[in-house]
Amino acid sequence: MKTINLNFLKNINFFISAFFCLMLVTSCSNDDDVNNPPPVNDEELITNVTLTFTNNADATDTVVLASIAPDGQDGTSTEDVTGNFTSGATYSLSLAITNASETPADDVLNDDIIVEADEHFFTYAVNTINLTMSRDADDTDGADGSKLGVKTTWVAGAASTGNVQISLIHQPTSTDDSDGFGSSTGGSEDLSITFSGVNIQS
Amino acid sequence: MKYYVLIIMSCFINMTYSQNCKSKFFGEVHDFHDGTPMIAASIYIENLDKYTSTDIDGNFSFDNLCDGKITVVVSHLSCETKRFDIQISGDTFYEVNLEHHIEELNEVKVKGASNSKLTKTSQETIIKAKTIERYSASSLGDALKEVAGVSSINTGNTIVKPMINGLHSSRILILNNNVRQQDQEWGVEHAPNIDINSAGQISVIKGSGTLAYGGDAIGGVVVINPNRVISNDTLYGRTIIGGQTNGRGYNISSTLNKNYSSGWFAQVQGSYRKNGDFKAPDYNLTNTGLDSKGLTTRFGKKKFKSGFEVYYSYLNNEIGVLGTSHIGSTFDLVRAINSGQPILIEDFSYDINTPKQNVTHHLAKVNYYKRFQNFGKVNLQYDYQHNQRLEFDVRIGDRKNIPAIDLTLQTHTILADVNLDSNLNQKVNFGLMGRFQDNFANPDTGVRRLIPDYEKYDFGIYSTAEWKLNDDLIVDAGIRYDFNKIDAKKFYRKSRWEERGYNIDFQNIIIASVIGSQVFNGVIDPNAQEYLTNPVFDYHNISGSVGAKYSINDNNQILFNYSLASRPPNASELFSDGLHHSAARFELGNIRFDKEIANRVSGSYTYNNSKFSFLTEVFYNRIKDYIYLKPLDFILTNRGPFPIWAYEQTNAELFGIDISATYNFTDTWQWKNKTAFIKGYDLKADLPLIDIPSFNTMNQITYNHEAWHNFSASLKSEWVFEQNEYPDFNFEIENQLTEEIISVDISSPPPAYHLLHFYSEATFALSKKTNLNIALGVNNLLNTSYRNYLNRLRFFADDLGRNITLQLQLKY
Repeated sequence: MKTINLNFLKNINFFISAFFCLMLVTSCSNDDDVNNPPPVNDEELITNVTLTFTNNADATDTVVLASIAPDGQDGTSTEDVTGNFTSGATYSLSLAITNASETPADDVLNDDIIVEADEHFFTYAVNTINLTMSRDADDTDGADGSKLGVKTTWVAGAASTGNVQISLIHQPTSTDDSDGFGSSTGGSEDLSITFSGVNIQS
Repeated sequence: MKYYVLIIMSCFINMTYSQNCKSKFFGEVHDFHDGTPMIAASIYIENLDKYTSTDIDGNFSFDNLCDGKITVVVSHLSCETKRFDIQISGDTFYEVNLEHHIEELNEVKVKGASNSKLTKTSQETIIKAKTIERYSASSLGDALKEVAGVSSINTGNTIVKPMINGLHSSRILILNNNVRQQDQEWGVEHAPNIDINSAGQISVIKGSGTLAYGGDAIGGVVVINPNRVISNDTLYGRTIIGGQTNGRGYNISSTLNKNYSSGWFAQVQGSYRKNGDFKAPDYNLTNTGLDSKGLTTRFGKKKFKSGFEVYYSYLNNEIGVLGTSHIGSTFDLVRAINSGQPILIEDFSYDINTPKQNVTHHLAKVNYYKRFQNFGKVNLQYDYQHNQRLEFDVRIGDRKNIPAIDLTLQTHTILADVNLDSNLNQKVNFGLMGRFQDNFANPDTGVRRLIPDYEKYDFGIYSTAEWKLNDDLIVDAGIRYDFNKIDAKKFYRKSRWEERGYNIDFQNIIIASVIGSQVFNGVIDPNAQEYLTNPVFDYHNISGSVGAKYSINDNNQILFNYSLASRPPNASELFSDGLHHSAARFELGNIRFDKEIANRVSGSYTYNNSKFSFLTEVFYNRIKDYIYLKPLDFILTNRGPFPIWAYEQTNAELFGIDISATYNFTDTWQWKNKTAFIKGYDLKADLPLIDIPSFNTMNQITYNHEAWHNFSASLKSEWVFEQNEYPDFNFEIENQLTEEIISVDISSPPPAYHLLHFYSEATFALSKKTNLNIALGVNNLLNTSYRNYLNRLRFFADDLGRNITLQLQLKY
């Protein structure tokens, strides 16, 4: 029995020392890195979406629909409506889509979306407000042979109040811009913003 | 194979040149393990045709031998026969040590030999090489479903994660050639990176009975071992070529083995698999292609007393994810669910576009073992794993070529294990494990990190013991302690930090503030957009098990096992913080989590006779602080409303019964059944658990005729019931334009389905050592349309339609 115990201890000794030798070898691989990882700037962030409608007859008559999401698509967005449409007037819509988390702000509309116009399509929708729209002849060509929807003209009808929605579809399967507002199937929504309480005054 | 026999000494006394025929050859025969003398071992000198046997002290002797070479054969009941040459030169003494732990010699057994199970009292099932070969063109997760109670949670048809008794991902431990697979297994859409063609045998162990591998196997353990090493001078190989109609897939896998009787061995195995878009019965599943490349190579020396192995495996999988499952908003999800079929259906193509995954896994290991007489076996192992996961998303412009997720996980592990088996009736095993892990999230993705950079340290110590109390009763027990430390560097948006209330409890772990693109170290700036934090968490885990196996008689056997398992939260459960695209929801981790603790009781009953075999396994698993995802809130973003799901801890219970039965009507006709029933509940919320497999039963009729080139044909019926118990996590969103309320049904399970599968094969001997196996199969024979509750893409498309497969396997 004695010899067995001795043998046992010897072997245990070998075993433990071998383990710690291995431990030493592998622990070298852990260089303590004091450098912190750099922050990642979300490149595809869209923080600010602004729709500026300007009366073709009166440049001081503007309606601004602004959506601000400081954390981009990952966070809460707040919508704000400034100004009222004038019944019977015709407006040109100027779109601005930016990433304001970068300094200076990144122009997502011109640098990304219009460059890849054939993969994108803007759709608009209204509810209980008498707005009609059309895509301009010089509007950029978008996905599936439709106009992209960055240059549009809007006509304010009778006084009313309602919601205005803008959506940006990425890689739609099919698009249809025949009614101006536009509709599509497939793809994924990169933006879907609804502004409520938009007014047309007489 | 020859077994190593220790020759302690040989005495050369009379070194004369004259022929001496008065020499004596004598010696002792002992058991290798405990040194006890072996009585009545027969000693045969083959070239002289002389016999003797050992006496009560294990001694033997032959008198009046001539000097020169003799061939000795030593044999003993229940031992392997040993044959060797020795030189007689005067009186010659030999000590022979025989080995009778046959089951540990890892010898390839002749046909019909018993399985070498890894555990004695756990619910373990072995999948043999013959079955594995059928799955050459599939994934590990598909092959594991051969076991009753094992299902899978899928993302499409090529991302298949094994699920054991309702649990998956981090709750299942996968061992590949004794290396614990570290491949970011926390994600449901992260399938194990293992080439099934490299597996020689797979053991599925339900529950955590096997503490040597880890204490956190709340669900179970999958042990994959390569082919056994044969110590003969031999060269052999296997080549499998297959084709599948669905997805127009093809695969090739080849293995070559070279072995020497000296114990040296080398093996190389390579496989390639490709398929294009799969097809559901009614439409193409666009962008579901796969391109998989695997290489495994190993060499070493294997002797009974000592040996080593160097092993390396490489696997690269490029996997397309169903195109239509990329959605941008909750409205897209609603449209997908309501349309009932994919919106994006294109013509067949082998192209793999975004969204897709590209995962590369390298595994290298070296191990050494040595047996000490009267003691046992000591095994030392070092392994290194490098896992890189790239996920490409639908992005604007050139960014689609930049992965949205780029994570590299490196793992170093050392293991030391001692098996004390000198006493056959009492085996003791103990060991130590040390592990270092480094996760790197590449910032060049241009997308905020889903999982942060972290370093993780693990240390484990365990001991298990097994007692053979008598011929009918085996008892085993084990205990293990694990220490885990995770040291992360994570950026939190200030809004998230405050919304989670971390500013109250964890403000002290902030190490820097980010304003614009500038980082201010050591500052907590209230105007910061982001905080860099350094969470460091320690976990102490105790696990244990006790079990018994009792053979009532030759036909009846029962098993009982109790196990305690403890699992620390994984990186995803702690730190997740982002949008999950195909689920259209935010998923949030929680750094307040403590470990999960599971108490599992199980029992099995086996009945066997020559015609009928029956196995029933029952279990009850109660998990304290079970971590799962649950709907928490809503957020209105510039893509419309999004649900927020957060990981939460609750107390859960799972219980169920698994049945396997086989009946041989005649020598040629066989019936087989496999049935699983499981229930799972969240005890705090009093709700069923999500993603629990429904009742399913499989019946198979096989016709087998050995005389016709081992021809067999089988028809399998697979019946999966509708899951009628599920948590109702449906939600409502408002279409803000129309102010209409839309209900989003993400909870209702799909209806029950029944599938028929056909399989037939025959083997032709081409020469003495070469044979060709031809197998023809048809999956989903009737081209039935169905959706599986456990497929994460079930909202978007039907599962696979009919698939005809042809496989040629050449063994040489």
